[in-house]
Amino acid sequence: MSATRIVITGMGAVTGFGFEWQTLWEKMLGAEHCVRLWQPDGVEDGTFPVRYAAAVDMSLLPEALQDHPAWTFALEKRSRFGWVAATQAVNDSGLAPEQLRDAAVLCASGAPQHMLADMLLTQAPDGRAPGWQHLMPRAGEVNADGSLRQGNDRLARVIADGLGCEGPVINISSACAGASQAIGNAFQMIRRGEVSVAIAGGADSVLNLDTMAALYLLGAASSEQRWGVDLCRPFDRDRSGLIAGEGGGFVVLESLEHALARGATPYAEVLGFGSSLDAYKVTAPQPEGRGAALAMQAALDDAGLRAQQIDLINAHGTSTPLNDVAETLAIKSVFAEHKHYRSLAVSANKSQFGHLIAAAGAPECMVTALACLNDLVTPTVNLHELDEQCDLDYCAGQAVSRRVDFALSNSFGFGGLNTSLALGKYREHTQ
Amino acid sequence: MSIAVYIHSAAVLNAAGSECADLLGTPPSSQPLAFDATRRAYPLPTPRLASDLFDRKIQRSVEPQGLRLLHCVARLAPALAALNLPPARIALTAAIPEVDAPSPCWDAVQAIGEQPQKPLAQLLANTPPLHALTLLNSSVMAYVAEALQCHGPMGGFCSQDNAGLDALIEACQQIVEQRADAALVVSSSPNLTPALYLRDPHQASEAMYGEGAAALLLGLVPAPDTPITLRIAGFARGYSADPQRGAAVGRGVIDRALSVEKLRLGDVGQIVANPEDAQLMSLIADHPRDVRSARAMTGDLGASALLTEIALALHHTHTASATPGYTLLVSHSRAGHWGALLLASETMEEHT
Repeated sequence: MSATRIVITGMGAVTGFGFEWQTLWEKMLGAEHCVRLWQPDGVEDGTFPVRYAAAVDMSLLPEALQDHPAWTFALEKRSRFGWVAATQAVNDSGLAPEQLRDAAVLCASGAPQHMLADMLLTQAPDGRAPGWQHLMPRAGEVNADGSLRQGNDRLARVIADGLGCEGPVINISSACAGASQAIGNAFQMIRRGEVSVAIAGGADSVLNLDTMAALYLLGAASSEQRWGVDLCRPFDRDRSGLIAGEGGGFVVLESLEHALARGATPYAEVLGFGSSLDAYKVTAPQPEGRGAALAMQAALDDAGLRAQQIDLINAHGTSTPLNDVAETLAIKSVFAEHKHYRSLAVSANKSQFGHLIAAAGAPECMVTALACLNDLVTPTVNLHELDEQCDLDYCAGQAVSRRVDFALSNSFGFGGLNTSLALGKYREHTQ
Repeated sequence: MSIAVYIHSAAVLNAAGSECADLLGTPPSSQPLAFDATRRAYPLPTPRLASDLFDRKIQRSVEPQGLRLLHCVARLAPALAALNLPPARIALTAAIPEVDAPSPCWDAVQAIGEQPQKPLAQLLANTPPLHALTLLNSSVMAYVAEALQCHGPMGGFCSQDNAGLDALIEACQQIVEQRADAALVVSSSPNLTPALYLRDPHQASEAMYGEGAAALLLGLVPAPDTPITLRIAGFARGYSADPQRGAAVGRGVIDRALSVEKLRLGDVGQIVANPEDAQLMSLIADHPRDVRSARAMTGDLGASALLTEIALALHHTHTASATPGYTLLVSHSRAGHWGALLLASETMEEHT
């Protein structure tokens, strides 16, 4: 690989915690979470079986962001969050508009936000079977901010148009690995010399009736009632499924040379990226974590790191029965030499801000970068009784102060699409 | 590029047919859309999947765009198997538009229409448990990976316009950077649904969409017994939605793709581009030559258009009249994406 070094110089996150990464980080270190009671719009009687989610709380919108065009453009909800997060990241980086002209934009978007109201326009007036032909005469009634009006790549283009970016504009879709793939691909594009600057991340919201119903019926979303708002419990024996969040996250990546030339201070260095396919079952991870292990090993190889150098793994940690065991087994296989897995800190973020689905890898990458910067590891909250097959140090309950020189951030997508990012503490000189 | 990457094999499915040679035949007639007789397009019947490669349930649970893709992929399975590679050395990248089908399935929509006072109960009672799988293009990638045993690097891309080039570049780089020895690049056009026409009504009024799919197998070696091979020689991409900047960005993209082999536009033997794109054509106007496109045979195939053109270029290398030289494929999306891909046709002697 080339000697080009790539660093993170800007971050923006919109989550249930708020609209700044600083708030996210502070709340996470304080072992808080933002899972709350939730019901889809239009369900007023509390009968929707999924009762909890980490929704974005618009009452937390700071005054400085209230005039952002994302709130008035015709956009899907996820794109509004993503556009704001990307703006925050660029502002955080200090890049001037003229420095963004050749930048790439890589954006992971989740499944389209289909709207039940739009779909009901396909109903035949005389009771015949529904079909698209019945919608066309009523096209004027189709919602402007639903999937029939908004292409999946709309967010990537809105960001590029708004910032005047003329580099590659790439829309990524690899389920829950999407944002991690976006960041990994951006890292590779800079390393290859295709661009010097990239804005990469993702945005998603599944908090609508249609998508959550589909996730519930699939058995992926938890409808557990026992634990109230504390039901997201990665690696706990009582975990019961994913708890959805919503929001967006973007990072600004630059070649170190580019960053230093303009006086930027890196948060952390991106060292490697690995991806793999389970090729097992569309509905379940490979039980031994084969694909996850391949992705982590590929990230280590890409970074030129030995397994023993890793201090922290930001786990995918979905709180689903199958993922958390498979990920644990994968970690144990990759870090088997000298039982290094016993020395690792493993932290899962989804019990704090929910599962952001396609966007999940972006805030989790930021948290990993901040761990490298500050030598602080965020806790896995709501983890009280370890699953007997989950026997690593998951930093349960409270943040941990420990040196973090190198870390991995895992994101594993539905259907067995796996990614892992290798990050490191930024140093002026490589070791 | 430091390591040569070849287009080993290709498979297509579109209105012209399921063989690359079909793209050289008589153009098929466009047809009125089933949901809007005032518009015409190139729709396809949903293909049947080979049951020896894919689970029978997939035929029922995957949307037509995914089935088209899987139909193409199945035809590359023998070529991939013949390479005899470890699964971890096989990459998979995909350019698949997200499905525009109703999130609640049609049965649920009908049930809600019959009992509108209980929409939630009808939605939950009439949506199959696995319906979510039909909406995710990662499901289609998973089916490909499972059937063809690809465990290596992956990349999923999703847009109507430029995802094919993004998927091809990513696959090529996985081989160049030695993370894979072969890569499947798979793509599909979206289903013909109202969304194609509602998202940008002004531009869609001129569009003639088609349904199709295309898949490529890339490798470190060309297919055996091919006197002329097709190598990926360069590529570049950019974007501008600003009409004032578009030409400059497009010109820069073309120049960068050519620069890898130290070429100028005049050195290229053939250009593949949409002849109806005035801005694109203005960039190559100083170098008049045969500009070809399969678009008249297929309609606008969106995410699978580029791979279909590459498949045709590969087919040309198999014909008796094939000669060495360069082909430049230039794409310009309605949204403003620019892409350029340089392919080198070479005799075996040139690289042995």
